[in-house]
Amino acid sequence: MNRIALLLRKDVLVLRRSPLLLGILIAYPLTIALLVGLVASYGSSKPRVAFVDEDNLPASVVLGGKRFDVSHTIDQVSNNVKLVRLSSDEADRQLADGRVVAVVTVPPGFVSTLRGMVRSPQLELQLSTGTISSRVEQQVQALVYSLNRQLQRAYIASNLRYMKLILHGGDGSFLGAPITVLGIERAQRVLRSMPQSPRTAQLLDFLHDARLALANTNDALNSTAHPIELVREPARGRTWALSAEVQAYALGLTITFLALLLAAGSLAAERDENVIGRLARGLVGLGELVWSKVALAAVVAVALGLAIAVAFGLIIQVGNVTGGEPWRRLPLLVVGLLLAGGSLGALGALLGALAREARSASLVALLVVMPIVFLGLIPAEVVPPAGWLSDLLPFAHSVRFFRSALYDLSPWGEVLREGLWLVVLGAVFGGLARVGARRLLV
Amino acid sequence: MTPPTPLLAARGAGRRFGHKSALEPVELELWDGDALALVGPNGAGKSTLLSLLAGALEASVGKVERRKGARVGWAPQRPAQYGRLSARENLELFARLEGEHDPRAAAERLLETFELPGEPEPSANLSVGNRQRLNLAISVLGSPDVLLLDEPTAALDPDQRRRLWDRVSALRAAGGAVVFATQNLEEVERFAERVAALREGRLVFAGTRDEYDRAHGESLSA
Repeated sequence: MNRIALLLRKDVLVLRRSPLLLGILIAYPLTIALLVGLVASYGSSKPRVAFVDEDNLPASVVLGGKRFDVSHTIDQVSNNVKLVRLSSDEADRQLADGRVVAVVTVPPGFVSTLRGMVRSPQLELQLSTGTISSRVEQQVQALVYSLNRQLQRAYIASNLRYMKLILHGGDGSFLGAPITVLGIERAQRVLRSMPQSPRTAQLLDFLHDARLALANTNDALNSTAHPIELVREPARGRTWALSAEVQAYALGLTITFLALLLAAGSLAAERDENVIGRLARGLVGLGELVWSKVALAAVVAVALGLAIAVAFGLIIQVGNVTGGEPWRRLPLLVVGLLLAGGSLGALGALLGALAREARSASLVALLVVMPIVFLGLIPAEVVPPAGWLSDLLPFAHSVRFFRSALYDLSPWGEVLREGLWLVVLGAVFGGLARVGARRLLV
Repeated sequence: MTPPTPLLAARGAGRRFGHKSALEPVELELWDGDALALVGPNGAGKSTLLSLLAGALEASVGKVERRKGARVGWAPQRPAQYGRLSARENLELFARLEGEHDPRAAAERLLETFELPGEPEPSANLSVGNRQRLNLAISVLGSPDVLLLDEPTAALDPDQRRRLWDRVSALRAAGGAVVFATQNLEEVERFAERVAALREGRLVFAGTRDEYDRAHGESLSA
């Protein structure tokens, strides 16, 4: 058995003798992954938006003969944002300090303009500056779109009532004034009871055509309002909790946490136990010592990552969830886990060499994990520098490898590219750790 | 006939930690059968010199030469072993790293020789004396030609001290050499043939035990 294998065996034995530590090392990152997922999901779907009512909106508004409960209508259409009713001053203050990301203001005269039905009333939107303002603008546009759809239905219903009145005749009202309409059908009957002539025949023809045309008004008005209608089919994909994205991030975060902490802590522990000198005097080279920690991180990453992947796979199998190839792709995932664990282990070894003491190394690794993970979570297209920085660390590459290995139809290009990144980063960090390990001898 | 090169030699070997000099350059040779005592107050540089000779520390200046094929055993002042492994597991691991032909048998033999517990109890739970015994047992793995012992008897009972020095005598009789750091003048008198005295990181004396006695104006054996 070579020296690296001997040290690896020793470290695994030591780890097995620390079940509490091992349990915490496994449970903690999984919990964090879940919490990050929940926060990310909640945070991305419900930005806080101030709602300023300067028109003193009434409890209900009658438009086109339909009564709207204002609060209920606003609640209905604000699915994607959390609307908070605030005064104008308070909204400005909260926008300035970032507690709300946008302010939607209903200006004075809004309802009267709406009731007039002559011109469109306006809502005012103020956005915070920053990376998510464009997304918030889209969500507020979606809110206004939903509101317009509700009003549109009322307007169409109102217009259709007028059309029915024109078609069948009868009593109605227009702009609040009562009206009586003869209607096309009654006009036809009146014309037929009159002496027939070419002119009455012409009028009857016209009324016949008009009646046919108006009979299709319902569909025509609806299709004018919605030239393209989106029909939502029943959900078939995975739930959020089982998505490929979540699995890849759960694997990435857990392995990052474990590999960094284990490699950093176990390398520095060689000095704490005063064994480093004994090893370094020819028994084990510093390079071999560093690579044994890299191997430890890789082995633990494979064991734990595989367990997580199998658990996901079983849930998907039992739940009969479609999509993805959880079983056939496991061998490819193992390669990714090995490379990711090794690359992250090399970074951990570097931290351990720099920190020199096991406690300091663990603390440093713990402090470093979150920034590395969050850098990887920021979309590169939103904050390019975060993307560049993240490219120099193994987390984002690991996540992309896992996602592609598990779910891409043709993963080879991506897997090869990310695998190469992990190998190069592992070699660089491992080389630096080898140089830094000399500090352990002091 | 004396071999042409010493078993171990410090050729102007010194060590700095940052701006602080822990050991000024030292010239020292160790030949077959030698018994060299390193003496001096705390912080004089004895442990640093032993670490340099063992190869556990790199010299900042100069170098340490070892005769080709010579094997060195080192017992640092603070026991160097894995606390979560038992005494047996520590011995087996280091026996494998030292290239012992039969690591299990070597571990078993040393457990018996140093009267160490064979139970799977972590060595961190052993008494101070037992941990020091384990430290010494690990240092003799691999059949070293030179033993470097840093205050080896500090935590040992009289019986264990006697066994240790018996072992050292056997090593010397077989042509090996020993360097030991000590604060115990009786040990210098009984077991050293040569003495190197260090003070504030400098080698202030190197010679035979008699020369050392004379230099200090009195015989330790008196």
